[in-house]
Amino acid sequence: MRELFAVMMKEEWRLHATMFGSISFALFPVLIGAITFMGSLILSFIGEIIPGPTLSFLVHAQFLLLGIMVGGFGLLGQEVMNRRFGQASLVAYSSRTLPLSDRRIFTVFVVKDTVYYIILWVLPVIAGITLAAPWSGLPLSLIGTIALTLSLSFLTGLAVVFFLSTLYTRSMLLLAGVVAAGALFSILLLITGIVDPVCFFPPYALSRSFTVPLLLYSLTALMVPFALSIRFMTTEFPGREMHIPDRFSPLAGHLDRFRSGPTVAKDLLDLRRSGGLVGQTLFSFALPLALIWVTLAVLARVLPDTRLLITFAGVAGIIGATIYTWVTEFDAIAGYTFLPLGTPDLIRSKLATFLLLQPLTLGAVGAGAVISGDYGSLLPAAVLALSVSIYAASVMVWLTGLWPAVMVYDVKVLAASMLLIGPVLLGLIGVASMNSLFAFGSAVLLVPASLFIRGSYRRWESWEVAFT
Amino acid sequence: MAPVISASSLSKHYGDLKAVDQVSLDVEEGSLFGLLGPNGSGKTTMIRLLTGQVRPTSGSATVLDTDVVTSPVKVRERIGIIPEQETPPSFLTSEEYLAFVGRVRKISAVKEEADWWFEFLEFSDKRDVLCKDLSRGTRQKLMFAQAFLHRPVLALIDEPLINFDPVMQKTVKDYLAEYVRDGGTIFLSTHILEIAEEICSDVAIIHRGRLVHAGPVARILGQRQHLSDFFLEAVGKGSHA
Repeated sequence: MRELFAVMMKEEWRLHATMFGSISFALFPVLIGAITFMGSLILSFIGEIIPGPTLSFLVHAQFLLLGIMVGGFGLLGQEVMNRRFGQASLVAYSSRTLPLSDRRIFTVFVVKDTVYYIILWVLPVIAGITLAAPWSGLPLSLIGTIALTLSLSFLTGLAVVFFLSTLYTRSMLLLAGVVAAGALFSILLLITGIVDPVCFFPPYALSRSFTVPLLLYSLTALMVPFALSIRFMTTEFPGREMHIPDRFSPLAGHLDRFRSGPTVAKDLLDLRRSGGLVGQTLFSFALPLALIWVTLAVLARVLPDTRLLITFAGVAGIIGATIYTWVTEFDAIAGYTFLPLGTPDLIRSKLATFLLLQPLTLGAVGAGAVISGDYGSLLPAAVLALSVSIYAASVMVWLTGLWPAVMVYDVKVLAASMLLIGPVLLGLIGVASMNSLFAFGSAVLLVPASLFIRGSYRRWESWEVAFT
Repeated sequence: MAPVISASSLSKHYGDLKAVDQVSLDVEEGSLFGLLGPNGSGKTTMIRLLTGQVRPTSGSATVLDTDVVTSPVKVRERIGIIPEQETPPSFLTSEEYLAFVGRVRKISAVKEEADWWFEFLEFSDKRDVLCKDLSRGTRQKLMFAQAFLHRPVLALIDEPLINFDPVMQKTVKDYLAEYVRDGGTIFLSTHILEIAEEICSDVAIIHRGRLVHAGPVARILGQRQHLSDFFLEAVGKGSHA
């Protein structure tokens, strides 16, 4: 077990380090720590605007979201599981030839992911908070508690996604049933007032009142889904040979007028049949956006000038841009290299698929309008979300070509994307918050987006397919 | 007659590793050219260089009079390629995959072409099965069909027979021989010497990235009894080495 864990850790490190250099990757946690340090320095200023408990909730919610996103990455659906094991985690795949059970390999895989991403994400944040403590005024005695509750938040997110994805690989119906039953049970508990709502987020409850029962409750809340995931995980799927009529030709026929018609049709079928579309929409899109909505709604209570729908639309645009990673991450680029297609053709095709899936982003904004009742801001918010999404995706394409998900850990790429997207997003939200009609102005982002995309064709033209 | 493939001092280095080192060779039209070499000798890299899938560190190559470095897509439009690993998309059926390749290659009668290949390689019963559910042999058939779907004048094929049973190996070898008789050219990479001896007109031997021999098979067989003896000597493993 220990040997397998060590080898998996080495492999994960080498996978990232090989792609963009050891130094660049090693600097990633340093950057995260530096950002947290700077954020912590203005903690006292933020504390005057946002009450402590609200701020604490927001930070814990972010770590929960981080856990959800890390857990969701590559652990969804049967084929996605296979591709994850087959490509990104070769040791996990090849270990099946050793006298080790799949369950044991999966357990080590879960532990490896947990340790690896805590080192990569959680520890740098704790280090940043600790280093800034003399200036932020945060008592050092609290830092241990914060480190624990933030780690628990991250692990809870990871555990929930592992559990849901285990259900998903077993049966879509089972997943729907468990989610529906859980939601119903939670609503009943809330209505009857039997439990404090804060108990639905155990690590946050623990941060508010550190008691042994709450600690045990927090640990149970993450150990149970982890244990169930390991107990019921499966890598054996029914080997029945399905006979499927040709759906590609009619779909490609509809898309014939587009230059990338055949590759877009292939991508859409691939996403639908692999379960990637449903899985990603659920775990990488709807779930984070729901959490972001709750976070923004809490924020809007303490910052009354916040235009909830507009702010949400801006953030939804960023999440919408990640759809580009769905259509690139789980496609084997090697399968195109012997066809008369160049990297620019593939980028063009992936962007076309990305655009075809943007109704998801618009749908999220529509849902936000329904929940908030702010129908007056719906149209400008939709324009803002779509513009931000296209712009952020174009930056991603320019910086990372066809490999956005793996290259996000390159510190230079991360810093560049933050600089190119962050100020633009904040500026737009700020301006549109004064008058939602100003959000229409965000359409101007399509100009730099177009330039980034054109530039990416030249930039990635000579890129050799190194991940084949 | 100008060669259909011409490589001049072609090199591909990955750091200190010289995968292909200063290789120069010509492949004449209408030949069945075999590139032989031990595992890791640079055969696959050579095919990837000649098809524009990777850029050379130095040197140049033309395929069908087109520079593969400056116009790789143009080269791939005209040739057929069977890659080292059979990698059709998991979630397309065999029929859909050939339709996809046909549309990318702009083949007008793709359905008729695909039907012919399903019949010829005897996998019509798998045409509506997802590629992920196919056996390795059937996937290899599919990769073979996609390479020849547009009836190219030149095909570069990497170990195309390795997953086939003896019956299918014979079918494919006969097809290749007929293809060459009809004026096509094959560049075959393999380490199965019996196949090379049986079907190739010319061979080149690559070892540790360097070309150690190139010439007609008939000349080798005139000097030795088997190609394998010559090969082992060329790579320094022969009894006299």
